Amino acid sequence: MFDRHITVSRTDDPGLELPAATRDRLKSRFPLGAARRMTQLGMIVGALIEELAPTGEDALIYASSYGETRAIEEYLASFPDASPTLFQTSIHPSAVQQGAISRKRSLREFFPLAGAPAELIAPALSVAMTNPAPRVLLVGGEERGTWLRELGLASERTYAFALALDRAPASENASTVLGSLTLSPSSAEEPGALSFSQWFDLLHQRKPWTGEIGSGWRLELRWST
Amino acid sequence: MAESLSTAPSIRLRESGCLTAYGDATATWQGLLSGRSALRLSAVQGPDKPDLVPLALRSDDALFETIPPRWHRALPVAFASLRGQGWGTPRRPVVVTSSNFGVGSLHGYARSKDPGHLPYGVPFDSVHALRTAMEWGPSVTIFSHACITAHLGLLHGTRLLQAGVADDVLVFSFDFLSPFVAGGFYALKILNADFPTPYQEREIGSIGLGDGAAYAVLSRTAGDYRIEAQSIYNEMFHATSNQPDGSGFATCLREVANQLRGRRVWLKGHGTGTLEAGRLESAAFAEAFPSAPLVGWKGGIGHTLGSCGLVELAITLEALKARKIPGTVGSSRPTMQSTVALEPFDASGFDAVVCASNAFGGAHAAFLLSHV
Repeated sequence: MFDRHITVSRTDDPGLELPAATRDRLKSRFPLGAARRMTQLGMIVGALIEELAPTGEDALIYASSYGETRAIEEYLASFPDASPTLFQTSIHPSAVQQGAISRKRSLREFFPLAGAPAELIAPALSVAMTNPAPRVLLVGGEERGTWLRELGLASERTYAFALALDRAPASENASTVLGSLTLSPSSAEEPGALSFSQWFDLLHQRKPWTGEIGSGWRLELRWST
Repeated sequence: MAESLSTAPSIRLRESGCLTAYGDATATWQGLLSGRSALRLSAVQGPDKPDLVPLALRSDDALFETIPPRWHRALPVAFASLRGQGWGTPRRPVVVTSSNFGVGSLHGYARSKDPGHLPYGVPFDSVHALRTAMEWGPSVTIFSHACITAHLGLLHGTRLLQAGVADDVLVFSFDFLSPFVAGGFYALKILNADFPTPYQEREIGSIGLGDGAAYAVLSRTAGDYRIEAQSIYNEMFHATSNQPDGSGFATCLREVANQLRGRRVWLKGHGTGTLEAGRLESAAFAEAFPSAPLVGWKGGIGHTLGSCGLVELAITLEALKARKIPGTVGSSRPTMQSTVALEPFDASGFDAVVCASNAFGGAHAAFLLSHV
Protein backbone atom coordinates (compact mmCIF):
# COMPACT_ATOMS: atom_id res chain seq x y z
CA MET A 1 0.00 0.00 0.00
CA PHE A 2 1.32 3.44 -0.95
CA ASP A 3 0.14 6.68 0.65
CA ARG A 4 0.77 10.29 -0.28
CA HIS A 5 -0.69 13.57 0.94
CA ILE A 6 -2.04 16.04 -1.58
CA THR A 7 -0.50 19.37 -0.60
CA VAL A 8 -1.24 21.36 -3.76
CA SER A 9 -3.97 20.71 -6.32
CA ARG A 10 -4.49 22.83 -9.41
CA THR A 11 -6.69 22.31 -12.44
CA ASP A 12 -7.45 24.20 -15.63
CA ASP A 13 -10.57 23.36 -17.62
CA PRO A 14 -10.67 25.55 -20.73
CA GLY A 15 -12.69 22.96 -22.63
CA LEU A 16 -13.14 24.21 -26.18
CA GLU A 17 -10.94 27.29 -25.79
CA LEU A 18 -8.86 28.02 -28.88
CA PRO A 19 -5.06 28.15 -28.58
CA ALA A 20 -4.94 31.89 -29.29
CA ALA A 21 -7.30 32.58 -26.39
CA THR A 22 -5.24 30.35 -24.13
CA ARG A 23 -2.14 32.28 -25.14
CA ASP A 24 -3.78 35.61 -24.26
CA ARG A 25 -4.96 34.20 -20.94
CA LEU A 26 -1.67 32.64 -19.84
CA LYS A 27 1.18 34.50 -21.57
CA SER A 28 1.91 36.60 -18.48
CA ARG A 29 2.72 33.39 -16.60
CA PHE A 30 5.82 32.73 -18.70
CA PRO A 31 9.04 34.62 -19.38
CA LEU A 32 8.60 37.44 -21.87
CA GLY A 33 8.02 36.14 -25.37
CA ALA A 34 8.06 32.47 -24.39
CA ALA A 35 4.33 31.81 -24.86
CA ARG A 36 4.57 32.91 -28.49
CA ARG A 37 6.32 29.64 -29.30
CA MET A 38 4.35 27.40 -26.95
CA THR A 39 1.55 24.99 -27.72
CA GLN A 40 -1.81 25.11 -25.98
CA LEU A 41 -0.97 21.99 -23.97
CA GLY A 42 2.44 23.42 -23.14
CA MET A 43 0.86 26.60 -21.81
CA ILE A 44 -1.80 25.03 -19.60
CA VAL A 45 0.54 22.36 -18.25
CA GLY A 46 3.42 24.79 -17.79
CA ALA A 47 1.28 27.33 -15.95
CA LEU A 48 -0.03 24.71 -13.52
CA ILE A 49 3.40 23.23 -12.85
CA GLU A 50 4.68 26.66 -11.88
CA GLU A 51 1.94 26.89 -9.24
CA LEU A 52 3.48 23.83 -7.58
CA ALA A 53 6.75 25.76 -7.07
CA PRO A 54 8.84 22.84 -8.33
CA THR A 55 12.38 22.20 -7.13
CA GLY A 56 15.09 20.27 -8.93
CA GLU A 57 14.73 17.34 -6.56
CA ASP A 58 11.00 16.84 -7.07
CA ALA A 59 10.09 13.92 -9.29
CA LEU A 60 7.74 14.94 -12.09
CA ILE A 61 5.31 12.36 -13.45
CA TYR A 62 3.50 13.57 -16.56
CA ALA A 63 0.64 11.76 -18.27
CA SER A 64 -1.08 12.48 -21.57
CA SER A 65 -2.85 10.09 -23.91
CA TYR A 66 -2.47 12.18 -27.04
CA GLY A 67 0.32 14.64 -26.22
CA GLU A 68 1.08 17.39 -28.69
CA THR A 69 -1.86 16.85 -30.99
CA ARG A 70 -1.85 20.17 -32.80
CA ALA A 71 1.90 20.17 -33.32
CA ILE A 72 1.61 16.69 -34.83
CA GLU A 73 -1.23 17.84 -37.09
CA GLU A 74 0.73 20.87 -38.27
CA TYR A 75 3.98 18.93 -38.61
CA LEU A 76 2.27 16.41 -40.89
CA ALA A 77 0.85 19.25 -42.94
CA SER A 78 4.37 20.61 -43.46
CA PHE A 79 5.46 17.57 -45.53
CA PRO A 80 7.20 17.00 -47.86
CA ASP A 81 9.35 19.87 -46.54
CA ALA A 82 9.12 18.90 -42.88
CA SER A 83 9.27 21.71 -40.33
CA PRO A 84 12.16 21.30 -37.85
CA THR A 85 10.40 23.40 -35.21
CA LEU A 86 7.16 21.47 -35.42
CA PHE A 87 9.07 18.18 -35.37
CA GLN A 88 10.77 18.96 -32.08
CA THR A 89 7.56 20.43 -30.64
CA SER A 90 5.59 17.32 -31.60
CA ILE A 91 7.81 14.99 -29.58
CA HIS A 92 6.40 13.79 -26.28
CA PRO A 93 6.92 15.25 -23.61
CA SER A 94 7.36 18.63 -25.24
CA ALA A 95 4.46 20.18 -23.28
CA VAL A 96 6.41 20.01 -20.02
CA GLN A 97 9.74 20.83 -21.62
CA GLN A 98 8.45 24.04 -23.23
CA GLY A 99 7.71 25.63 -19.86
CA ALA A 100 10.66 24.13 -18.01
CA ILE A 101 13.14 25.20 -20.68
CA SER A 102 11.74 28.74 -20.77
CA ARG A 103 12.55 28.94 -17.05
CA LYS A 104 15.74 26.84 -17.25
CA ARG A 105 14.28 24.65 -14.53
CA SER A 106 16.18 21.36 -14.25
CA LEU A 107 14.64 18.17 -12.92
CA ARG A 108 16.26 15.08 -11.52
CA GLU A 109 13.56 12.56 -12.42
CA PHE A 110 10.95 13.12 -15.11
CA PHE A 111 8.67 10.26 -16.17
CA PRO A 112 6.43 11.07 -19.15
CA LEU A 113 3.69 8.51 -19.76
CA ALA A 114 1.31 7.82 -22.59
CA GLY A 115 -1.63 5.43 -22.46
CA ALA A 116 -5.21 4.96 -23.54
CA PRO A 117 -7.65 7.35 -21.84
CA ALA A 118 -9.35 4.44 -20.10
CA GLU A 119 -6.07 2.93 -18.92
CA LEU A 120 -3.71 5.83 -18.20
CA ILE A 121 -4.39 6.80 -14.63
CA ALA A 122 -3.42 3.44 -13.08
CA PRO A 123 0.13 3.35 -14.45
CA ALA A 124 0.56 7.09 -13.86
CA LEU A 125 -0.34 6.67 -10.20
CA SER A 126 1.82 3.58 -9.84
CA VAL A 127 4.82 5.49 -11.19
CA ALA A 128 4.08 8.42 -8.88
CA MET A 129 3.40 6.40 -5.75
CA THR A 130 6.42 4.07 -6.07
CA ASN A 131 8.82 6.97 -6.64
CA PRO A 132 11.11 7.50 -3.63
CA ALA A 133 11.31 11.31 -3.90
CA PRO A 134 9.93 13.15 -0.84
CA ARG A 135 7.75 15.22 -3.15
CA VAL A 136 6.24 13.96 -6.38
CA LEU A 137 4.49 16.21 -8.87
CA LEU A 138 1.75 14.39 -10.78
CA VAL A 139 0.75 16.36 -13.84
CA GLY A 140 -1.38 15.59 -16.87
CA GLY A 141 -3.51 17.01 -19.58
CA GLU A 142 -4.80 17.01 -23.12
CA GLU A 143 -5.38 19.56 -25.82
CA ARG A 144 -8.37 19.50 -28.17
CA GLY A 145 -7.34 18.41 -31.63
CA THR A 146 -8.70 19.32 -35.05
CA TRP A 147 -8.57 16.75 -37.87
CA LEU A 148 -7.10 14.06 -35.64
CA ARG A 149 -10.01 14.62 -33.25
CA GLU A 150 -12.47 14.11 -36.08
CA LEU A 151 -10.80 10.76 -36.70
CA GLY A 152 -11.10 9.82 -33.03
CA LEU A 153 -7.33 10.19 -32.51
CA ALA A 154 -7.27 13.26 -30.26
CA SER A 155 -8.97 14.67 -27.20
CA GLU A 156 -12.39 16.31 -27.45
CA ARG A 157 -11.50 18.83 -24.76
CA THR A 158 -8.56 20.74 -23.38
CA TYR A 159 -7.74 20.29 -19.70
CA ALA A 160 -4.84 19.87 -17.32
CA PHE A 161 -4.17 19.07 -13.68
CA ALA A 162 -1.18 19.31 -11.36
CA LEU A 163 -0.82 17.75 -7.91
CA ALA A 164 1.97 17.99 -5.37
CA LEU A 165 2.15 14.72 -3.44
CA ASP A 166 4.14 14.64 -0.21
CA ARG A 167 5.06 11.64 1.89
CA ALA A 168 4.58 13.14 5.33
CA PRO A 169 4.15 16.88 5.74
CA ALA A 170 5.62 18.24 8.94
CA SER A 171 3.02 18.69 11.65
CA GLU A 172 3.28 22.47 11.48
CA ASN A 173 2.21 22.17 7.84
CA ALA A 174 -0.74 19.89 8.51
CA SER A 175 -3.13 22.65 7.54
CA THR A 176 -1.73 22.52 4.00
CA VAL A 177 -2.88 18.95 3.46
CA LEU A 178 -5.77 19.06 1.02
CA GLY A 179 -6.35 15.34 0.78
CA SER A 180 -4.65 12.03 0.29
CA LEU A 181 -4.14 9.17 -2.11
CA THR A 182 -3.84 5.51 -1.22
CA LEU A 183 -2.85 3.06 -3.93
CA SER A 184 -3.11 -0.64 -3.15
CA PRO A 185 -2.26 -3.71 -5.23
CA SER A 186 -5.35 -5.54 -6.39
CA SER A 187 -5.98 -8.83 -8.09
CA ALA A 188 -8.26 -7.19 -10.64
CA GLU A 189 -6.58 -7.33 -14.03
CA GLU A 190 -9.11 -5.66 -16.26
CA PRO A 191 -9.20 -1.92 -16.97
CA GLY A 192 -10.84 0.01 -14.18
CA ALA A 193 -13.75 2.38 -14.08
CA LEU A 194 -11.79 5.63 -13.97
CA SER A 195 -10.85 7.27 -17.25
CA PHE A 196 -8.27 10.02 -17.55
CA SER A 197 -10.88 12.75 -18.04
CA GLN A 198 -12.95 11.37 -15.15
CA TRP A 199 -9.86 11.54 -12.95
CA PHE A 200 -9.45 15.17 -14.00
CA ASP A 201 -13.09 15.88 -13.14
CA LEU A 202 -12.62 14.37 -9.67
CA LEU A 203 -9.69 16.69 -9.04
CA HIS A 204 -11.43 19.69 -10.55
CA GLN A 205 -14.51 19.19 -8.39
CA ARG A 206 -12.55 17.81 -5.42
CA LYS A 207 -14.72 14.74 -5.19
CA PRO A 208 -13.62 11.58 -3.35
CA TRP A 209 -13.38 8.24 -5.12
CA THR A 210 -12.66 4.64 -4.19
CA GLY A 211 -12.39 1.66 -6.48
CA GLU A 212 -10.44 -0.44 -8.94
CA ILE A 213 -8.51 1.59 -11.49
CA GLY A 214 -7.13 -1.32 -13.51
CA SER A 215 -3.75 -2.96 -14.10
CA GLY A 216 -3.92 -4.50 -10.64
CA TRP A 217 -4.40 -1.31 -8.64
CA ARG A 218 -7.07 0.05 -6.31
CA LEU A 219 -7.30 3.74 -5.50
CA GLU A 220 -8.70 5.72 -2.61
CA LEU A 221 -8.86 9.49 -3.17
CA ARG A 222 -9.87 11.54 -0.13
CA TRP A 223 -10.28 15.29 0.33
CA SER A 224 -9.95 16.94 3.73
CA THR A 225 -11.51 20.25 2.73
CA MET B 1 18.09 15.56 -1.80
CA ALA B 2 15.64 12.92 -2.96
CA GLU B 3 16.63 9.31 -2.67
CA SER B 4 17.82 8.19 -6.06
CA LEU B 5 17.97 4.68 -7.35
CA SER B 6 21.71 4.73 -6.94
CA THR B 7 21.17 4.44 -3.22
CA ALA B 8 18.61 1.66 -3.55
CA PRO B 9 19.31 -2.06 -3.90
CA SER B 10 20.32 -3.35 -7.32
CA ILE B 11 18.13 -5.49 -9.54
CA ARG B 12 18.89 -8.54 -11.65
CA LEU B 13 18.78 -8.68 -15.43
CA ARG B 14 17.42 -12.15 -16.18
CA GLU B 15 17.56 -11.98 -19.96
CA SER B 16 17.51 -9.55 -22.84
CA GLY B 17 17.41 -9.50 -26.61
CA CYS B 18 17.20 -7.12 -29.50
CA LEU B 19 16.38 -6.74 -33.16
CA THR B 20 18.36 -4.37 -35.38
CA ALA B 21 19.18 -4.11 -39.05
CA TYR B 22 21.87 -6.76 -38.45
CA GLY B 23 19.40 -9.23 -36.92
CA ASP B 24 19.12 -10.49 -33.35
CA ALA B 25 21.45 -9.63 -30.47
CA THR B 26 24.09 -12.16 -31.47
CA ALA B 27 24.05 -11.08 -35.11
CA THR B 28 24.20 -7.45 -34.05
CA TRP B 29 27.16 -8.06 -31.76
CA GLN B 30 28.93 -9.99 -34.52
CA GLY B 31 28.20 -7.27 -37.06
CA LEU B 32 29.61 -4.58 -34.81
CA LEU B 33 32.59 -6.73 -33.94
CA SER B 34 33.41 -7.07 -37.64
CA GLY B 35 33.40 -3.30 -37.98
CA ARG B 36 30.74 -3.49 -40.67
CA SER B 37 28.04 -0.83 -40.58
CA ALA B 38 24.41 -1.69 -41.25
CA LEU B 39 23.73 1.87 -42.40
CA ARG B 40 22.92 2.36 -46.07
CA LEU B 41 22.12 5.51 -47.99
CA SER B 42 18.34 5.59 -48.41
CA ALA B 43 15.76 8.14 -49.51
CA VAL B 44 14.90 10.18 -46.43
CA GLN B 45 11.16 10.22 -47.02
CA GLY B 46 10.79 7.29 -49.34
CA PRO B 47 9.42 8.19 -52.75
CA ASP B 48 8.44 11.70 -51.64
CA LYS B 49 11.97 13.04 -51.12
CA PRO B 50 14.89 11.31 -52.82
CA ASP B 51 17.64 12.96 -50.73
CA LEU B 52 19.88 10.18 -49.44
CA VAL B 53 20.68 9.71 -45.74
CA PRO B 54 22.20 6.83 -43.75
CA LEU B 55 19.50 4.50 -42.44
CA ALA B 56 19.78 1.00 -41.01
CA LEU B 57 16.48 -0.62 -41.93
CA ARG B 58 15.28 -4.09 -41.03
CA SER B 59 14.31 -4.83 -44.60
CA ASP B 60 14.92 -3.50 -48.05
CA ASP B 61 11.63 -1.63 -47.94
CA ALA B 62 11.96 2.04 -48.63
CA LEU B 63 10.67 4.31 -45.88
CA PHE B 64 7.09 3.83 -46.90
CA GLU B 65 4.34 3.10 -44.42
CA THR B 66 2.60 -0.20 -44.95
CA ILE B 67 -0.62 -1.66 -43.55
CA PRO B 68 0.03 -3.24 -41.12
CA PRO B 69 3.24 -1.37 -40.27
CA ARG B 70 6.65 -3.04 -40.61
CA TRP B 71 7.10 -3.24 -36.83
CA HIS B 72 3.76 -4.98 -36.37
CA ARG B 73 4.78 -7.72 -38.76
CA ALA B 74 8.31 -8.11 -37.40
CA LEU B 75 8.00 -7.99 -33.62
CA PRO B 76 5.72 -10.98 -32.86
CA VAL B 77 8.02 -13.16 -34.97
CA ALA B 78 11.31 -11.85 -33.62
CA PHE B 79 10.16 -11.96 -30.00
CA ALA B 80 7.94 -15.04 -30.11
CA SER B 81 9.43 -16.24 -26.81
CA LEU B 82 7.73 -13.30 -25.07
CA ARG B 83 4.21 -14.12 -26.27
CA GLY B 84 1.72 -14.84 -23.51
CA GLN B 85 3.40 -16.36 -20.44
CA GLY B 86 1.40 -14.19 -18.10
CA TRP B 87 3.04 -10.97 -19.23
CA GLY B 88 0.79 -7.98 -18.71
CA THR B 89 -0.73 -9.34 -15.52
CA PRO B 90 -0.34 -7.48 -12.20
CA ARG B 91 2.53 -9.66 -10.95
CA ARG B 92 4.23 -9.74 -14.36
CA PRO B 93 3.68 -6.24 -15.74
CA VAL B 94 5.03 -4.94 -19.03
CA VAL B 95 6.65 -1.54 -19.51
CA VAL B 96 6.68 -0.40 -23.15
CA THR B 97 9.15 2.32 -24.06
CA SER B 98 9.49 4.13 -27.37
CA SER B 99 9.80 7.57 -28.86
CA ASN B 100 8.01 6.82 -32.12
CA PHE B 101 5.54 4.03 -31.46
CA GLY B 102 3.42 3.89 -34.62
CA VAL B 103 3.51 7.58 -35.47
CA GLY B 104 4.68 6.78 -38.98
CA SER B 105 1.17 5.50 -39.64
CA LEU B 106 -0.15 9.02 -39.14
CA HIS B 107 2.16 10.13 -41.93
CA GLY B 108 0.90 7.20 -43.95
CA TYR B 109 -2.68 8.35 -43.45
CA ALA B 110 -1.90 12.02 -44.10
CA ARG B 111 -0.23 11.03 -47.35
CA SER B 112 -2.71 8.45 -48.64
CA LYS B 113 -5.93 9.02 -46.67
CA ASP B 114 -6.13 5.23 -46.32
CA PRO B 115 -7.93 4.60 -43.00
CA GLY B 116 -6.09 1.31 -42.66
CA HIS B 117 -3.19 3.28 -41.18
CA LEU B 118 -5.25 4.78 -38.36
CA PRO B 119 -5.32 1.88 -35.85
CA TYR B 120 -1.56 2.22 -35.36
CA GLY B 121 -0.96 5.98 -35.30
CA VAL B 122 -1.48 7.00 -31.66
CA PRO B 123 1.05 5.61 -29.14
CA PHE B 124 -1.49 3.73 -27.04
CA ASP B 125 -3.16 2.29 -30.15
CA SER B 126 0.16 0.99 -31.42
CA VAL B 127 0.87 -0.58 -28.03
CA HIS B 128 -2.61 -2.10 -28.00
CA ALA B 129 -1.92 -3.66 -31.40
CA LEU B 130 1.41 -4.97 -30.12
CA ARG B 131 -0.18 -6.20 -26.89
CA THR B 132 -2.82 -8.13 -28.81
CA ALA B 133 -0.25 -9.69 -31.12
CA MET B 134 1.97 -10.63 -28.17
CA GLU B 135 -0.98 -11.95 -26.10
CA TRP B 136 -0.15 -9.68 -23.16
CA GLY B 137 -2.65 -8.64 -20.49
CA PRO B 138 -3.59 -5.02 -19.73
CA SER B 139 -0.98 -4.33 -17.02
CA VAL B 140 1.12 -2.22 -19.34
CA THR B 141 2.85 1.09 -18.58
CA ILE B 142 3.90 3.25 -21.53
CA PHE B 143 6.76 5.75 -21.32
CA SER B 144 7.83 8.22 -23.97
CA HIS B 145 10.82 10.43 -23.22
CA ALA B 146 12.68 10.61 -26.54
CA CYS B 147 16.01 8.79 -26.54
CA ILE B 148 16.28 8.01 -22.81
CA THR B 149 12.85 6.35 -22.71
CA ALA B 150 14.18 2.82 -22.30
CA HIS B 151 16.10 3.86 -19.19
CA LEU B 152 12.84 5.04 -17.60
CA GLY B 153 11.36 1.62 -18.23
CA LEU B 154 14.28 -0.07 -16.49
CA LEU B 155 14.09 2.31 -13.55
CA HIS B 156 10.34 1.98 -13.06
CA GLY B 157 10.55 -1.79 -13.46
CA THR B 158 13.21 -1.84 -10.78
CA ARG B 159 10.96 0.11 -8.43
CA LEU B 160 8.01 -2.20 -8.97
CA LEU B 161 10.21 -5.15 -8.05
CA GLN B 162 11.78 -3.44 -5.07
CA ALA B 163 8.35 -2.46 -3.79
CA GLY B 164 7.34 -6.11 -3.96
CA VAL B 165 4.35 -5.49 -6.20
CA ALA B 166 5.73 -7.51 -9.12
CA ASP B 167 7.58 -10.81 -9.47
CA ASP B 168 9.15 -10.09 -12.85
CA VAL B 169 8.97 -7.07 -15.14
CA LEU B 170 9.26 -7.12 -18.92
CA VAL B 171 10.62 -3.89 -20.38
CA PHE B 172 9.99 -3.82 -24.13
CA SER B 173 10.95 -1.15 -26.62
CA PHE B 174 10.46 -0.61 -30.34
CA ASP B 175 11.28 2.21 -32.74
CA PHE B 176 10.99 1.56 -36.45
CA LEU B 177 11.83 4.38 -38.81
CA SER B 178 9.33 6.30 -40.88
CA PRO B 179 9.25 9.45 -43.00
CA PHE B 180 7.78 11.19 -39.93
CA VAL B 181 10.96 10.80 -37.90
CA ALA B 182 13.55 10.70 -40.67
CA GLY B 183 12.03 13.83 -42.20
CA GLY B 184 12.22 15.57 -38.84
CA PHE B 185 15.87 14.82 -38.19
CA TYR B 186 16.68 15.74 -41.80
CA ALA B 187 14.91 19.07 -41.29
CA LEU B 188 17.04 19.65 -38.20
CA LYS B 189 20.06 19.02 -40.48
CA ILE B 190 21.68 16.52 -38.12
CA LEU B 191 20.63 13.71 -40.45
CA ASN B 192 22.39 14.42 -43.74
CA ALA B 193 24.26 12.63 -46.50
CA ASP B 194 27.27 11.84 -44.29
CA PHE B 195 27.66 8.67 -42.26
CA PRO B 196 27.97 9.11 -38.50
CA THR B 197 31.42 8.93 -36.92
CA PRO B 198 30.74 8.97 -33.16
CA TYR B 199 33.33 10.75 -31.01
CA GLN B 200 35.49 11.60 -34.05
CA GLU B 201 36.69 15.16 -34.49
CA ARG B 202 35.61 16.49 -37.87
CA GLU B 203 34.02 19.60 -39.34
CA ILE B 204 30.39 18.57 -39.73
CA GLY B 205 28.50 16.19 -37.48
CA SER B 206 25.90 13.74 -38.69
CA ILE B 207 23.80 10.92 -37.38
CA GLY B 208 22.35 7.77 -38.87
CA LEU B 209 19.02 6.31 -37.86
CA GLY B 210 18.17 2.64 -37.39
CA ASP B 211 15.24 0.34 -36.80
CA GLY B 212 15.45 -1.15 -33.35
CA ALA B 213 13.53 -3.18 -30.83
CA ALA B 214 14.64 -4.85 -27.63
CA TYR B 215 13.56 -6.28 -24.31
CA ALA B 216 14.88 -6.92 -20.85
CA VAL B 217 13.39 -9.14 -18.17
CA LEU B 218 14.06 -7.81 -14.68
CA SER B 219 13.92 -9.92 -11.56
CA ARG B 220 14.69 -9.47 -7.88
CA THR B 221 16.76 -12.62 -7.59
CA ALA B 222 17.18 -14.45 -10.92
CA GLY B 223 19.80 -13.54 -13.48
CA ASP B 224 23.56 -13.43 -13.81
CA TYR B 225 23.83 -9.67 -14.27
CA ARG B 226 23.03 -6.78 -12.01
CA ILE B 227 21.75 -3.31 -12.91
CA GLU B 228 22.56 -0.65 -10.35
CA ALA B 229 23.22 3.05 -9.88
CA GLN B 230 20.46 4.07 -12.28
CA SER B 231 20.74 7.81 -12.73
CA ILE B 232 18.58 10.33 -14.56
CA TYR B 233 18.96 14.07 -14.99
CA ASN B 234 16.97 16.55 -17.09
CA GLU B 235 18.81 19.82 -17.54
CA MET B 236 15.97 21.61 -19.40
CA PHE B 237 18.42 24.03 -20.96
CA HIS B 238 17.33 23.94 -24.59
CA ALA B 239 15.00 21.81 -26.71
CA THR B 240 17.79 20.31 -28.81
CA SER B 241 21.10 21.24 -27.18
CA ASN B 242 22.88 20.91 -23.85
CA GLN B 243 24.42 23.21 -21.26
CA PRO B 244 27.64 24.33 -22.99
CA ASP B 245 29.71 23.47 -19.91
CA GLY B 246 28.60 19.84 -20.02
CA SER B 247 27.21 19.98 -16.51
CA GLY B 248 24.13 17.98 -17.47
CA PHE B 249 26.24 15.01 -18.56
CA ALA B 250 28.47 15.38 -15.51
CA THR B 251 25.57 15.50 -13.05
CA CYS B 252 24.10 12.29 -14.40
CA LEU B 253 27.39 10.39 -14.56
CA ARG B 254 28.50 11.52 -11.10
CA GLU B 255 25.73 9.43 -9.54
CA VAL B 256 27.09 6.36 -11.28
CA ALA B 257 30.75 7.13 -10.57
CA ASN B 258 29.94 7.45 -6.88
CA GLN B 259 28.80 3.83 -6.87
CA LEU B 260 31.89 2.31 -8.50
CA ARG B 261 33.67 1.37 -5.27
CA GLY B 262 36.97 0.72 -7.05
CA ARG B 263 35.57 -1.37 -9.86
CA ARG B 264 37.19 -1.10 -13.29
CA VAL B 265 34.71 -0.13 -15.98
CA TRP B 266 34.38 0.35 -19.69
CA LEU B 267 31.86 2.80 -21.10
CA LYS B 268 29.05 2.31 -23.59
CA GLY B 269 28.21 5.86 -24.58
CA HIS B 270 25.35 7.43 -26.49
CA GLY B 271 27.52 8.76 -29.33
CA THR B 272 25.11 9.62 -32.13
CA GLY B 273 27.69 11.42 -34.26
CA THR B 274 26.72 15.01 -33.51
CA LEU B 275 29.76 17.09 -32.64
CA GLU B 276 28.73 19.26 -29.71
CA ALA B 277 26.99 16.50 -27.77
CA GLY B 278 29.79 14.06 -28.58
CA ARG B 279 32.43 16.41 -27.21
CA LEU B 280 30.47 17.15 -24.05
CA GLU B 281 29.61 13.51 -23.45
CA SER B 282 33.09 12.15 -24.05
CA ALA B 283 34.64 14.87 -21.87
CA ALA B 284 32.21 14.12 -19.04
CA PHE B 285 33.02 10.42 -19.31
CA ALA B 286 36.76 11.13 -19.23
CA GLU B 287 36.31 13.29 -16.14
CA ALA B 288 34.08 10.85 -14.24
CA PHE B 289 35.86 7.65 -15.33
CA PRO B 290 39.48 8.55 -16.16
CA SER B 291 41.17 6.19 -18.63
CA ALA B 292 38.10 3.96 -19.03
CA PRO B 293 37.63 2.98 -22.69
CA LEU B 294 34.59 4.53 -24.38
CA VAL B 295 32.67 2.97 -27.25
CA GLY B 296 29.61 4.03 -29.24
CA TRP B 297 27.76 1.73 -31.62
CA LYS B 298 25.42 4.01 -33.52
CA GLY B 299 27.87 4.16 -36.42
CA GLY B 300 26.92 0.53 -36.98
CA ILE B 301 23.29 0.10 -35.96
CA GLY B 302 22.21 3.72 -36.39
CA HIS B 303 20.40 5.63 -33.68
CA THR B 304 17.45 3.51 -32.59
CA LEU B 305 15.94 6.51 -30.77
CA GLY B 306 13.74 5.76 -27.76
CA SER B 307 14.81 2.13 -27.91
CA CYS B 308 18.56 2.76 -28.00
CA GLY B 309 19.08 2.23 -24.27
CA LEU B 310 17.51 -1.22 -24.38
CA VAL B 311 18.94 -2.24 -27.78
CA GLU B 312 22.44 -1.34 -26.65
CA LEU B 313 21.91 -3.07 -23.31
CA ALA B 314 21.15 -6.30 -25.18
CA ILE B 315 24.31 -5.88 -27.28
CA THR B 316 26.30 -5.12 -24.14
CA LEU B 317 25.06 -8.31 -22.51
CA GLU B 318 26.01 -10.28 -25.60
CA ALA B 319 29.48 -8.70 -25.50
CA LEU B 320 29.91 -9.46 -21.80
CA LYS B 321 28.95 -13.11 -22.32
CA ALA B 322 31.45 -13.44 -25.17
CA ARG B 323 34.00 -11.26 -23.34
CA LYS B 324 34.66 -9.26 -26.51
CA ILE B 325 33.56 -5.63 -26.78
CA PRO B 326 32.90 -4.12 -30.24
CA GLY B 327 34.71 -0.86 -30.96
CA THR B 328 33.30 2.43 -32.19
CA VAL B 329 32.21 1.39 -35.66
CA GLY B 330 32.59 3.99 -38.41
CA SER B 331 34.96 6.32 -36.55
CA SER B 332 38.67 6.99 -36.93
CA ARG B 333 41.33 9.28 -35.45
CA PRO B 334 41.41 12.02 -34.36
CA THR B 335 38.90 11.30 -31.64
CA MET B 336 37.43 13.71 -29.13
CA GLN B 337 39.14 11.91 -26.25
CA SER B 338 42.10 9.56 -26.30
CA THR B 339 40.01 7.00 -24.43
CA VAL B 340 37.65 6.40 -27.38
CA ALA B 341 38.11 2.77 -28.37
CA LEU B 342 37.90 2.33 -32.13
CA GLU B 343 38.73 -1.36 -32.23
CA PRO B 344 37.22 -4.32 -30.37
CA PHE B 345 38.80 -5.16 -27.03
CA ASP B 346 38.76 -7.93 -24.47
CA ALA B 347 36.35 -7.65 -21.56
CA SER B 348 38.87 -9.30 -19.24
CA GLY B 349 40.17 -6.83 -16.73
CA PHE B 350 36.88 -5.02 -16.35
CA ASP B 351 34.35 -5.51 -13.58
CA ALA B 352 31.41 -3.53 -14.97
CA VAL B 353 30.15 -1.33 -17.78
CA VAL B 354 28.48 2.06 -17.64
CA CYS B 355 25.62 2.33 -20.15
CA ALA B 356 24.45 5.85 -20.99
CA SER B 357 21.88 7.55 -23.23
CA ASN B 358 20.95 11.16 -23.86
CA ALA B 359 17.95 12.88 -25.40
CA PHE B 360 16.30 16.08 -26.58
CA GLY B 361 15.66 18.53 -23.79
CA GLY B 362 19.05 17.83 -22.23
CA ALA B 363 17.87 14.55 -20.76
CA HIS B 364 20.56 12.17 -19.53
CA ALA B 365 20.42 8.62 -18.19
CA ALA B 366 22.99 6.04 -17.16
CA PHE B 367 23.39 2.86 -15.13
CA LEU B 368 26.00 0.34 -14.14
CA LEU B 369 25.83 -3.25 -15.39
CA SER B 370 27.96 -5.99 -13.89
CA HIS B 371 28.14 -9.75 -13.46
CA VAL B 372 26.67 -10.89 -10.16
